[in-house]
Amino acid sequence: MEKITFKVQRYDPDKDKKPHIQQFIIPFRHGMTVLDGLIYIKENVDNTLSFRSSCRMGICGSCGMLINSLPMLACHTPIEELKKDTITVKPLPNFPIVKDLVADLSALFAKHKSIKPYIMPQDMTEADKPTAEFLQARGQLEEFVQFAYCVKCGLCMAACPTVATDKHFLGPQPLAQSYRYSADRRDCGAKVRFHETDTPHGIWLCHLAGACSEACPKGVDPALAQQLLKRAMISDSLRLRKKPVPPSVAPPPAEKKPRIAVPEFTIKQPGTKS
Amino acid sequence: MRENHLKILQYVTGIGLFFLVGGYHLLLMHLGKGDPESWSSVAQRAASAGWLTIYILILIFGIYHGLHGVRGLILELSLPNRAVKVLNWSIVLIGLAVFGYAVYIPIQAF
Amino acid sequence: MEAASKTKTTLPNRLGIKGWAWAGRYKIERYLYTLHRLTGFGLLAYVALHLVANGSRLWGEGGWESTMNFLSNPGFKVGEYLVMAAFIYHALNGGRLMLQHLGFTLGKPKPPVYPYVDAMRRRRPLTLALLALIMGLAIYVLVAFIIYR
Repeated sequence: MEKITFKVQRYDPDKDKKPHIQQFIIPFRHGMTVLDGLIYIKENVDNTLSFRSSCRMGICGSCGMLINSLPMLACHTPIEELKKDTITVKPLPNFPIVKDLVADLSALFAKHKSIKPYIMPQDMTEADKPTAEFLQARGQLEEFVQFAYCVKCGLCMAACPTVATDKHFLGPQPLAQSYRYSADRRDCGAKVRFHETDTPHGIWLCHLAGACSEACPKGVDPALAQQLLKRAMISDSLRLRKKPVPPSVAPPPAEKKPRIAVPEFTIKQPGTKS
Repeated sequence: MRENHLKILQYVTGIGLFFLVGGYHLLLMHLGKGDPESWSSVAQRAASAGWLTIYILILIFGIYHGLHGVRGLILELSLPNRAVKVLNWSIVLIGLAVFGYAVYIPIQAF
Repeated sequence: MEAASKTKTTLPNRLGIKGWAWAGRYKIERYLYTLHRLTGFGLLAYVALHLVANGSRLWGEGGWESTMNFLSNPGFKVGEYLVMAAFIYHALNGGRLMLQHLGFTLGKPKPPVYPYVDAMRRRRPLTLALLALIMGLAIYVLVAFIIYR
Protein backbone atom coordinates (compact mmCIF):
# COMPACT_ATOMS: atom_id res chain seq x y z
CA MET A 1 0.00 0.00 0.00
CA GLU A 2 1.64 3.22 -1.16
CA LYS A 3 -1.33 5.57 -1.03
CA ILE A 4 -4.21 5.87 1.38
CA THR A 5 -7.56 7.55 0.72
CA PHE A 6 -9.06 9.70 3.45
CA LYS A 7 -12.75 10.58 3.14
CA VAL A 8 -13.18 13.39 5.64
CA GLN A 9 -16.46 15.00 6.64
CA ARG A 10 -16.19 18.75 6.20
CA TYR A 11 -18.46 21.42 7.65
CA ASP A 12 -17.76 25.12 7.91
CA PRO A 13 -20.55 26.94 9.77
CA ASP A 14 -19.75 30.16 7.87
CA LYS A 15 -20.07 28.57 4.42
CA ASP A 16 -21.93 25.25 4.55
CA LYS A 17 -25.56 24.47 5.30
CA LYS A 18 -24.83 20.79 5.81
CA PRO A 19 -21.72 18.61 6.04
CA HIS A 20 -20.13 17.05 2.95
CA ILE A 21 -17.37 14.51 2.34
CA GLN A 22 -14.02 15.56 0.88
CA GLN A 23 -11.54 13.01 -0.43
CA PHE A 24 -7.76 13.19 0.06
CA ILE A 25 -5.23 10.71 -1.33
CA ILE A 26 -1.97 10.86 0.60
CA PRO A 27 1.23 8.80 0.74
CA PHE A 28 1.22 5.99 3.27
CA ARG A 29 4.11 5.02 5.50
CA HIS A 30 4.48 2.10 7.87
CA GLY A 31 3.25 2.82 11.42
CA MET A 32 1.14 5.81 10.39
CA THR A 33 -1.88 6.58 12.57
CA VAL A 34 -5.12 8.22 11.45
CA LEU A 35 -4.00 11.37 13.29
CA ASP A 36 -0.68 11.32 11.35
CA GLY A 37 -2.74 11.21 8.14
CA LEU A 38 -4.88 14.16 9.20
CA ILE A 39 -1.78 16.15 10.21
CA TYR A 40 -0.24 15.38 6.79
CA ILE A 41 -3.40 16.65 5.07
CA LYS A 42 -3.41 19.84 7.14
CA GLU A 43 0.30 20.52 6.58
CA ASN A 44 0.54 19.59 2.90
CA VAL A 45 -2.86 19.50 1.21
CA ASP A 46 -5.53 21.63 2.88
CA ASN A 47 -4.69 23.84 5.85
CA THR A 48 -8.35 24.69 6.44
CA LEU A 49 -9.06 21.20 7.81
CA SER A 50 -9.99 21.42 11.50
CA PHE A 51 -9.54 18.70 14.08
CA ARG A 52 -8.59 18.59 17.73
CA SER A 53 -5.49 16.82 19.04
CA SER A 54 -2.81 17.31 21.63
CA CYS A 55 -0.73 14.54 23.17
CA ARG A 56 -0.65 12.08 20.21
CA MET A 57 -0.36 9.15 22.64
CA GLY A 58 -3.90 8.38 23.85
CA ILE A 59 -3.63 10.31 27.08
CA CYS A 60 -5.41 13.62 26.54
CA GLY A 61 -8.52 12.23 24.81
CA SER A 62 -8.77 15.17 22.39
CA CYS A 63 -8.77 13.38 19.03
CA GLY A 64 -11.94 11.27 19.38
CA MET A 65 -13.55 10.78 15.95
CA LEU A 66 -15.80 8.38 14.10
CA ILE A 67 -13.30 6.33 12.09
CA ASN A 68 -14.82 3.81 9.67
CA SER A 69 -18.11 3.95 11.62
CA LEU A 70 -16.61 3.33 15.08
CA PRO A 71 -15.69 6.00 17.63
CA MET A 72 -11.92 5.88 18.17
CA LEU A 73 -8.99 8.07 19.15
CA ALA A 74 -7.25 9.06 15.90
CA CYS A 75 -3.81 8.95 17.56
CA HIS A 76 -4.46 5.47 18.91
CA THR A 77 -5.56 3.97 15.58
CA PRO A 78 -2.81 2.72 13.26
CA ILE A 79 -4.01 2.79 9.64
CA GLU A 80 -2.70 -0.76 9.07
CA GLU A 81 -5.01 -2.09 11.79
CA LEU A 82 -8.05 -0.81 9.90
CA LYS A 83 -7.09 -3.17 7.00
CA LYS A 84 -8.63 -0.86 4.37
CA ASP A 85 -7.30 1.46 1.67
CA THR A 86 -10.04 3.98 2.36
CA ILE A 87 -10.64 5.60 5.72
CA THR A 88 -13.81 7.55 6.45
CA VAL A 89 -13.41 10.09 9.21
CA LYS A 90 -16.36 11.97 10.71
CA PRO A 91 -16.83 13.95 13.93
CA LEU A 92 -18.07 12.07 17.01
CA PRO A 93 -21.83 11.51 16.79
CA ASN A 94 -24.19 12.64 19.57
CA PHE A 95 -22.21 15.87 20.04
CA PRO A 96 -22.84 19.10 18.09
CA ILE A 97 -20.30 19.82 15.34
CA VAL A 98 -18.25 23.00 15.73
CA LYS A 99 -16.28 22.66 12.48
CA ASP A 100 -15.12 19.72 10.35
CA LEU A 101 -14.03 17.04 12.86
CA VAL A 102 -14.29 19.21 15.95
CA ALA A 103 -17.18 18.21 18.22
CA ASP A 104 -18.48 20.32 21.10
CA LEU A 105 -17.99 18.23 24.26
CA SER A 106 -19.27 20.83 26.73
CA ALA A 107 -22.49 18.82 27.39
CA LEU A 108 -20.30 15.89 28.46
CA PHE A 109 -18.32 18.07 30.88
CA ALA A 110 -21.51 19.61 32.31
CA LYS A 111 -23.01 16.16 32.92
CA HIS A 112 -19.73 14.93 34.40
CA LYS A 113 -19.74 17.90 36.78
CA SER A 114 -23.36 17.23 37.79
CA ILE A 115 -22.55 13.86 39.38
CA LYS A 116 -20.12 15.49 41.85
CA PRO A 117 -16.91 13.88 40.58
CA TYR A 118 -14.86 14.38 43.70
CA ILE A 119 -14.33 12.76 47.08
CA MET A 120 -16.96 13.90 49.57
CA PRO A 121 -15.29 13.14 52.89
CA GLN A 122 -17.05 12.43 56.16
CA ASP A 123 -14.78 14.68 58.16
CA MET A 124 -14.27 18.00 56.39
CA THR A 125 -11.76 19.19 59.01
CA GLU A 126 -9.57 16.16 58.35
CA ALA A 127 -9.95 16.73 54.60
CA ASP A 128 -9.03 20.41 54.82
CA LYS A 129 -6.22 20.07 57.34
CA PRO A 130 -5.08 16.45 57.18
CA THR A 131 -3.21 15.14 60.18
CA ALA A 132 -2.26 11.88 58.42
CA GLU A 133 -2.89 9.81 55.32
CA PHE A 134 -6.03 7.76 54.63
CA LEU A 135 -5.25 4.04 54.55
CA GLN A 136 -6.43 2.11 51.51
CA ALA A 137 -5.84 -1.60 50.96
CA ARG A 138 -5.01 -2.90 47.50
CA GLY A 139 -8.40 -4.63 47.20
CA GLN A 140 -10.20 -1.40 48.12
CA LEU A 141 -8.26 0.47 45.43
CA GLU A 142 -9.08 -2.15 42.80
CA GLU A 143 -12.80 -1.67 43.44
CA PHE A 144 -12.67 1.60 41.49
CA VAL A 145 -9.21 2.23 40.03
CA GLN A 146 -10.17 0.83 36.59
CA PHE A 147 -12.81 3.55 36.26
CA ALA A 148 -10.37 6.27 37.33
CA TYR A 149 -8.45 5.93 34.03
CA CYS A 150 -11.18 7.85 32.15
CA VAL A 151 -9.75 10.60 29.91
CA LYS A 152 -13.17 12.14 29.09
CA CYS A 153 -12.71 11.66 25.36
CA GLY A 154 -16.46 11.16 24.83
CA LEU A 155 -16.15 7.97 22.74
CA CYS A 156 -18.51 6.06 25.06
CA MET A 157 -21.12 8.81 24.73
CA ALA A 158 -20.79 8.66 20.94
CA ALA A 159 -21.30 4.88 21.00
CA CYS A 160 -24.29 4.82 23.39
CA PRO A 161 -27.65 4.23 21.66
CA THR A 162 -29.54 6.00 24.47
CA VAL A 163 -27.41 9.16 24.21
CA ALA A 164 -28.25 8.99 20.48
CA THR A 165 -31.85 10.00 21.22
CA ASP A 166 -31.99 11.38 24.75
CA LYS A 167 -30.16 14.64 25.33
CA HIS A 168 -31.12 14.56 29.02
CA PHE A 169 -29.66 11.07 29.65
CA LEU A 170 -26.52 11.35 31.75
CA GLY A 171 -24.65 8.80 29.63
CA PRO A 172 -21.94 6.21 30.27
CA GLN A 173 -19.07 8.56 31.17
CA PRO A 174 -20.78 10.49 34.01
CA LEU A 175 -22.53 7.36 35.29
CA ALA A 176 -19.28 5.38 35.36
CA GLN A 177 -17.63 8.25 37.24
CA SER A 178 -20.56 8.34 39.65
CA TYR A 179 -19.75 4.73 40.52
CA ARG A 180 -16.00 5.40 40.58
CA TYR A 181 -16.39 7.98 43.38
CA SER A 182 -19.17 6.13 45.22
CA ALA A 183 -17.02 2.97 45.41
CA ASP A 184 -14.06 4.88 46.87
CA ARG A 185 -13.76 4.14 50.60
CA ARG A 186 -12.64 7.69 51.29
CA ASP A 187 -15.94 8.99 49.92
CA CYS A 188 -19.20 9.40 51.83
CA GLY A 189 -21.29 10.91 49.04
CA ALA A 190 -22.78 7.74 47.55
CA LYS A 191 -26.32 8.55 48.75
CA VAL A 192 -26.16 12.01 47.18
CA ARG A 193 -24.94 10.56 43.87
CA PHE A 194 -27.54 7.77 43.93
CA HIS A 195 -30.18 10.48 44.27
CA GLU A 196 -28.70 12.38 41.30
CA THR A 197 -28.69 9.31 39.08
CA ASP A 198 -32.02 7.78 40.14
CA THR A 199 -34.06 10.04 37.84
CA PRO A 200 -36.18 9.34 34.73
CA HIS A 201 -33.12 10.23 32.60
CA GLY A 202 -30.63 8.56 34.93
CA ILE A 203 -28.98 5.18 35.26
CA TRP A 204 -32.07 3.11 34.39
CA LEU A 205 -31.98 4.19 30.75
CA CYS A 206 -28.78 2.16 30.38
CA HIS A 207 -29.90 -1.07 28.70
CA LEU A 208 -26.48 -2.70 28.50
CA ALA A 209 -25.87 -2.57 24.75
CA GLY A 210 -22.18 -2.74 25.68
CA ALA A 211 -21.09 -0.32 22.94
CA CYS A 212 -19.57 2.12 25.45
CA SER A 213 -17.09 -0.45 26.76
CA GLU A 214 -16.18 -1.54 23.24
CA ALA A 215 -15.44 2.05 22.27
CA CYS A 216 -13.44 2.99 25.39
CA PRO A 217 -9.78 3.43 24.38
CA LYS A 218 -8.48 3.20 27.96
CA GLY A 219 -10.07 -0.06 29.14
CA VAL A 220 -12.26 1.81 31.63
CA ASP A 221 -15.28 -0.44 30.93
CA PRO A 222 -18.08 2.06 31.61
CA ALA A 223 -20.72 -0.65 31.05
CA LEU A 224 -19.36 -2.62 34.02
CA ALA A 225 -19.28 0.51 36.20
CA GLN A 226 -22.90 1.27 35.32
CA GLN A 227 -24.06 -2.26 36.18
CA LEU A 228 -22.20 -2.08 39.50
CA LEU A 229 -23.86 1.29 40.14
CA LYS A 230 -27.29 -0.30 39.48
CA ARG A 231 -26.43 -3.13 41.84
CA ALA A 232 -25.33 -0.69 44.55
CA MET A 233 -28.48 1.43 44.11
CA ILE A 234 -30.84 -1.55 44.23
CA SER A 235 -29.05 -2.99 47.28
CA ASP A 236 -29.27 0.43 48.90
CA SER A 237 -32.99 0.81 48.23
CA LEU A 238 -33.65 -2.70 49.58
CA ARG A 239 -31.44 -1.90 52.59
CA LEU A 240 -29.07 -4.74 51.65
CA ARG A 241 -26.04 -2.56 51.01
CA LYS A 242 -23.28 -2.88 53.54
CA LYS A 243 -22.74 0.29 55.51
CA PRO A 244 -19.65 1.96 54.11
CA VAL A 245 -16.81 1.73 56.59
CA PRO A 246 -15.20 5.13 57.13
CA PRO A 247 -11.62 5.14 55.92
CA SER A 248 -9.01 4.46 58.53
CA VAL A 249 -6.38 7.08 59.02
CA ALA A 250 -2.75 6.17 59.42
CA PRO A 251 -1.39 7.39 62.76
CA PRO A 252 0.90 10.37 62.40
CA PRO A 253 4.55 9.36 62.51
CA ALA A 254 5.88 9.38 66.09
CA GLU A 255 9.25 10.73 65.14
CA LYS A 256 9.92 13.15 62.37
CA LYS A 257 12.92 12.27 60.26
CA PRO A 258 15.46 15.06 60.01
CA ARG A 259 15.18 16.94 56.73
CA ILE A 260 17.88 16.33 54.17
CA ALA A 261 20.37 19.12 54.31
CA VAL A 262 19.94 21.47 51.37
CA PRO A 263 23.29 22.19 49.76
CA GLU A 264 24.52 25.74 49.76
CA PHE A 265 24.09 27.79 46.59
CA THR A 266 27.26 27.67 44.55
CA ILE A 267 26.58 31.11 43.15
CA LYS A 268 25.90 33.57 45.88
CA GLN A 269 22.75 35.61 45.49
CA PRO A 270 23.26 39.37 45.34
CA GLY A 271 22.82 40.93 48.73
CA THR A 272 23.87 37.83 50.69
CA LYS A 273 26.89 37.84 52.89
CA SER A 274 29.78 35.73 51.70
CA MET B 1 -42.13 6.11 43.58
CA ARG B 2 -38.45 6.22 42.86
CA GLU B 3 -37.09 4.99 39.55
CA ASN B 4 -35.16 2.09 41.09
CA HIS B 5 -38.34 0.79 42.77
CA LEU B 6 -40.07 0.86 39.37
CA LYS B 7 -37.12 -1.05 37.93
CA ILE B 8 -37.22 -3.67 40.69
CA LEU B 9 -40.91 -4.19 39.87
CA GLN B 10 -39.94 -4.55 36.19
CA TYR B 11 -37.57 -7.39 37.15
CA VAL B 12 -40.14 -9.05 39.41
CA THR B 13 -42.90 -8.88 36.79
CA GLY B 14 -40.47 -10.17 34.15
CA ILE B 15 -39.64 -13.25 36.22
CA GLY B 16 -43.32 -13.68 37.10
CA LEU B 17 -44.39 -13.49 33.46
CA PHE B 18 -41.83 -16.10 32.42
CA PHE B 19 -43.32 -18.65 34.84
CA LEU B 20 -46.95 -17.58 34.54
CA VAL B 21 -47.10 -17.41 30.74
CA GLY B 22 -44.94 -20.53 30.42
CA GLY B 23 -47.14 -22.43 32.89
CA TYR B 24 -50.36 -21.09 31.36
CA HIS B 25 -49.24 -22.15 27.91
CA LEU B 26 -48.20 -25.62 29.08
CA LEU B 27 -51.46 -26.19 30.97
CA LEU B 28 -53.60 -24.88 28.14
CA MET B 29 -51.93 -26.41 25.12
CA HIS B 30 -50.39 -29.62 26.40
CA LEU B 31 -52.12 -30.75 29.59
CA GLY B 32 -55.70 -29.69 28.92
CA LYS B 33 -58.29 -31.95 27.35
CA GLY B 34 -60.08 -31.06 24.12
CA ASP B 35 -59.70 -27.97 21.97
CA PRO B 36 -58.58 -25.07 24.22
CA GLU B 37 -60.06 -22.57 21.75
CA SER B 38 -63.58 -24.07 21.69
CA TRP B 39 -66.43 -22.03 23.21
CA SER B 40 -67.11 -24.66 25.90
CA SER B 41 -63.44 -24.73 27.03
CA VAL B 42 -63.29 -20.93 27.15
CA ALA B 43 -66.52 -20.78 29.17
CA GLN B 44 -65.24 -23.50 31.54
CA ARG B 45 -62.01 -21.59 32.19
CA ALA B 46 -63.87 -18.32 32.76
CA ALA B 47 -65.89 -20.06 35.49
CA SER B 48 -62.81 -21.49 37.22
CA ALA B 49 -61.30 -19.44 40.07
CA GLY B 50 -57.83 -20.94 39.42
CA TRP B 51 -57.77 -20.01 35.73
CA LEU B 52 -59.13 -16.54 36.48
CA THR B 53 -56.42 -15.97 39.10
CA ILE B 54 -53.67 -16.92 36.62
CA TYR B 55 -55.33 -14.74 33.96
CA ILE B 56 -55.54 -11.70 36.23
CA LEU B 57 -51.96 -12.16 37.47
CA ILE B 58 -50.71 -12.38 33.87
CA LEU B 59 -52.70 -9.24 33.08
CA ILE B 60 -51.26 -7.26 35.99
CA PHE B 61 -47.68 -8.43 35.39
CA GLY B 62 -47.95 -8.10 31.59
CA ILE B 63 -49.51 -4.64 31.62
CA TYR B 64 -46.93 -3.34 34.11
CA HIS B 65 -43.96 -4.92 32.32
CA GLY B 66 -45.08 -3.82 28.85
CA LEU B 67 -46.09 -0.29 29.76
CA HIS B 68 -42.97 0.30 31.87
CA GLY B 69 -40.91 -0.79 28.85
CA VAL B 70 -42.81 1.60 26.58
CA ARG B 71 -42.41 4.40 29.13
CA GLY B 72 -38.63 3.86 29.05
CA LEU B 73 -38.60 4.11 25.26
CA ILE B 74 -40.67 7.31 25.29
CA LEU B 75 -38.40 8.81 27.96
CA GLU B 76 -35.47 8.14 25.65
CA LEU B 77 -36.94 10.52 23.08
CA SER B 78 -35.50 13.48 25.04
CA LEU B 79 -38.76 13.98 26.89
CA PRO B 80 -38.49 17.20 28.95
CA ASN B 81 -38.90 16.82 32.71
CA ARG B 82 -42.23 18.68 32.66
CA ALA B 83 -43.69 16.13 30.24
CA VAL B 84 -42.54 13.14 32.34
CA LYS B 85 -45.46 13.62 34.78
CA VAL B 86 -47.95 13.71 31.91
CA LEU B 87 -46.37 10.55 30.49
CA ASN B 88 -46.51 8.79 33.88
CA TRP B 89 -50.21 9.57 34.35
CA SER B 90 -51.03 8.63 30.75
CA ILE B 91 -49.30 5.28 31.24
CA VAL B 92 -51.21 4.66 34.51
CA LEU B 93 -54.53 5.52 32.86
CA ILE B 94 -53.83 3.34 29.80
CA GLY B 95 -52.82 0.48 32.10
CA LEU B 96 -55.99 0.79 34.18
CA ALA B 97 -58.19 1.03 31.06
CA VAL B 98 -56.61 -2.08 29.49
CA PHE B 99 -56.90 -3.98 32.78
CA GLY B 100 -60.55 -2.95 33.18
CA TYR B 101 -61.39 -4.00 29.61
CA ALA B 102 -59.53 -7.31 29.91
CA VAL B 103 -61.25 -8.23 33.19
CA TYR B 104 -64.66 -7.10 31.91
CA ILE B 105 -64.55 -9.61 29.00
CA PRO B 106 -64.71 -12.90 30.96
CA ILE B 107 -67.04 -11.44 33.61
CA GLN B 108 -69.52 -10.04 31.09
CA ALA B 109 -69.32 -12.83 28.48
CA PHE B 110 -70.36 -15.75 30.68
CA MET C 1 -26.79 21.15 30.53
CA GLU C 2 -27.36 20.82 26.79
CA ALA C 3 -28.01 24.53 26.53
CA ALA C 4 -24.46 25.25 27.64
CA SER C 5 -23.09 23.35 24.66
CA LYS C 6 -25.29 25.00 22.03
CA THR C 7 -23.79 28.01 20.40
CA LYS C 8 -25.33 29.56 17.30
CA THR C 9 -22.79 27.95 15.01
CA THR C 10 -22.81 24.31 16.11
CA LEU C 11 -24.61 21.73 14.02
CA PRO C 12 -26.66 19.06 15.83
CA ASN C 13 -25.24 15.59 15.17
CA ARG C 14 -27.33 13.24 17.30
CA LEU C 15 -27.88 9.85 15.65
CA GLY C 16 -31.52 9.72 16.77
CA ILE C 17 -33.65 6.59 16.49
CA LYS C 18 -31.24 5.35 13.81
CA GLY C 19 -28.83 4.86 16.73
CA TRP C 20 -31.25 2.34 18.29
CA ALA C 21 -31.68 0.29 15.15
CA TRP C 22 -28.26 0.56 13.54
CA ALA C 23 -25.83 -1.65 15.44
CA GLY C 24 -23.11 -1.18 12.81
CA ARG C 25 -19.75 -2.67 13.67
CA TYR C 26 -20.43 -3.19 17.36
CA LYS C 27 -20.41 -6.66 18.90
CA ILE C 28 -23.20 -9.14 19.67
CA GLU C 29 -24.66 -7.37 22.76
CA ARG C 30 -25.50 -4.34 20.62
CA TYR C 31 -27.52 -6.60 18.29
CA LEU C 32 -29.16 -8.38 21.24
CA TYR C 33 -30.23 -4.92 22.50
CA THR C 34 -31.93 -4.09 19.18
CA LEU C 35 -33.59 -7.50 19.00
CA HIS C 36 -34.81 -7.17 22.60
CA ARG C 37 -36.63 -3.96 21.65
CA LEU C 38 -38.07 -5.45 18.48
CA THR C 39 -39.36 -8.56 20.28
CA GLY C 40 -40.75 -6.36 23.07
CA PHE C 41 -42.74 -4.35 20.52
CA GLY C 42 -43.85 -7.58 18.82
CA LEU C 43 -45.09 -9.07 22.09
CA LEU C 44 -46.92 -5.88 22.98
CA ALA C 45 -48.63 -5.88 19.56
CA TYR C 46 -49.58 -9.53 20.12
CA VAL C 47 -51.08 -8.76 23.54
CA ALA C 48 -53.15 -5.94 22.00
CA LEU C 49 -54.40 -8.26 19.21
CA HIS C 50 -55.05 -11.04 21.72
CA LEU C 51 -57.22 -8.73 23.84
CA VAL C 52 -59.15 -7.55 20.78
CA ALA C 53 -59.72 -11.17 19.70
CA ASN C 54 -60.78 -12.11 23.25
CA GLY C 55 -63.29 -9.26 23.12
CA SER C 56 -65.29 -11.22 20.54
CA ARG C 57 -66.55 -13.36 23.43
CA LEU C 58 -68.86 -10.47 24.21
CA TRP C 59 -70.80 -11.31 21.00
CA GLY C 60 -71.55 -14.82 22.25
CA GLU C 61 -70.64 -18.22 20.84
CA GLY C 62 -71.25 -17.18 17.23
CA GLY C 63 -68.97 -14.17 17.44
CA TRP C 64 -66.24 -16.20 19.15
CA GLU C 65 -66.37 -19.06 16.62
CA SER C 66 -66.25 -16.71 13.63
CA THR C 67 -63.22 -14.91 15.12
CA MET C 68 -61.47 -18.26 15.73
CA ASN C 69 -62.25 -19.31 12.15
CA PHE C 70 -60.78 -16.04 10.86
CA LEU C 71 -57.64 -16.50 12.97
CA SER C 72 -57.11 -20.13 11.95
CA ASN C 73 -55.53 -19.22 8.59
CA PRO C 74 -51.83 -20.15 8.02
CA GLY C 75 -50.65 -16.53 8.23
CA PHE C 76 -51.81 -16.22 11.85
CA LYS C 77 -50.41 -19.69 12.66
CA VAL C 78 -46.94 -18.59 11.46
CA GLY C 79 -47.46 -15.40 13.48
CA GLU C 80 -48.11 -17.48 16.60
CA TYR C 81 -44.82 -19.34 16.14
CA LEU C 82 -43.06 -15.99 15.70
CA VAL C 83 -44.68 -14.76 18.92
CA MET C 84 -43.46 -17.89 20.72
CA ALA C 85 -39.94 -17.35 19.36
CA ALA C 86 -40.07 -13.69 20.41
CA PHE C 87 -41.26 -14.68 23.90
CA ILE C 88 -38.43 -17.21 24.35
CA TYR C 89 -35.82 -14.72 23.10
CA HIS C 90 -37.18 -11.83 25.17
CA ALA C 91 -37.33 -14.01 28.29
CA LEU C 92 -33.82 -15.43 27.89
CA ASN C 93 -32.18 -12.13 27.01
CA GLY C 94 -34.21 -10.47 29.77
CA GLY C 95 -32.79 -13.04 32.19
CA ARG C 96 -29.26 -12.22 31.03
CA LEU C 97 -29.89 -8.49 31.36
CA MET C 98 -31.35 -8.89 34.82
CA LEU C 99 -28.34 -10.89 36.00
CA GLN C 100 -25.89 -8.43 34.50
CA HIS C 101 -27.79 -5.31 35.67
CA LEU C 102 -27.39 -6.70 39.16
CA GLY C 103 -23.66 -7.10 38.58
CA PHE C 104 -23.70 -10.91 38.31
CA THR C 105 -21.72 -12.83 35.65
CA LEU C 106 -19.62 -9.73 34.94
CA GLY C 107 -16.84 -10.26 37.46
CA LYS C 108 -14.97 -7.64 39.42
CA PRO C 109 -13.28 -4.50 38.12
CA LYS C 110 -9.63 -5.05 37.14
CA PRO C 111 -6.91 -2.50 36.58
CA PRO C 112 -6.77 -2.09 32.78
CA VAL C 113 -3.85 -3.86 31.10
CA TYR C 114 -3.38 -3.57 27.33
CA PRO C 115 -4.93 -5.14 25.23
CA TYR C 116 -8.11 -4.17 27.06
CA VAL C 117 -10.90 -6.71 27.32
CA ASP C 118 -14.15 -5.48 28.86
CA ALA C 119 -16.07 -7.51 31.42
CA MET C 120 -18.84 -8.49 29.00
CA ARG C 121 -16.39 -9.92 26.49
CA ARG C 122 -14.31 -11.57 29.22
CA ARG C 123 -17.37 -13.31 30.65
CA ARG C 124 -19.24 -13.90 27.37
CA PRO C 125 -18.64 -17.70 27.34
CA LEU C 126 -20.02 -17.98 30.90
CA THR C 127 -23.08 -15.88 30.06
CA LEU C 128 -23.79 -17.85 26.89
CA ALA C 129 -23.31 -21.15 28.72
CA LEU C 130 -25.74 -20.00 31.41
CA LEU C 131 -28.33 -19.00 28.81
CA ALA C 132 -27.86 -22.31 26.96
CA LEU C 133 -28.38 -24.16 30.25
CA ILE C 134 -31.62 -22.27 30.99
CA MET C 135 -32.82 -22.79 27.42
CA GLY C 136 -31.93 -26.49 27.56
CA LEU C 137 -33.88 -26.89 30.80
CA ALA C 138 -36.86 -25.05 29.33
CA ILE C 139 -36.84 -27.30 26.22
CA TYR C 140 -36.43 -30.42 28.40
CA VAL C 141 -39.43 -29.45 30.55
CA LEU C 142 -41.50 -28.68 27.44
CA VAL C 143 -40.62 -31.97 25.71
CA ALA C 144 -41.16 -33.97 28.90
CA PHE C 145 -44.63 -32.46 29.34
CA ILE C 146 -45.56 -33.16 25.72
CA ILE C 147 -44.35 -36.79 25.92
CA TYR C 148 -45.82 -37.70 29.31
CA ARG C 149 -49.05 -35.73 29.29
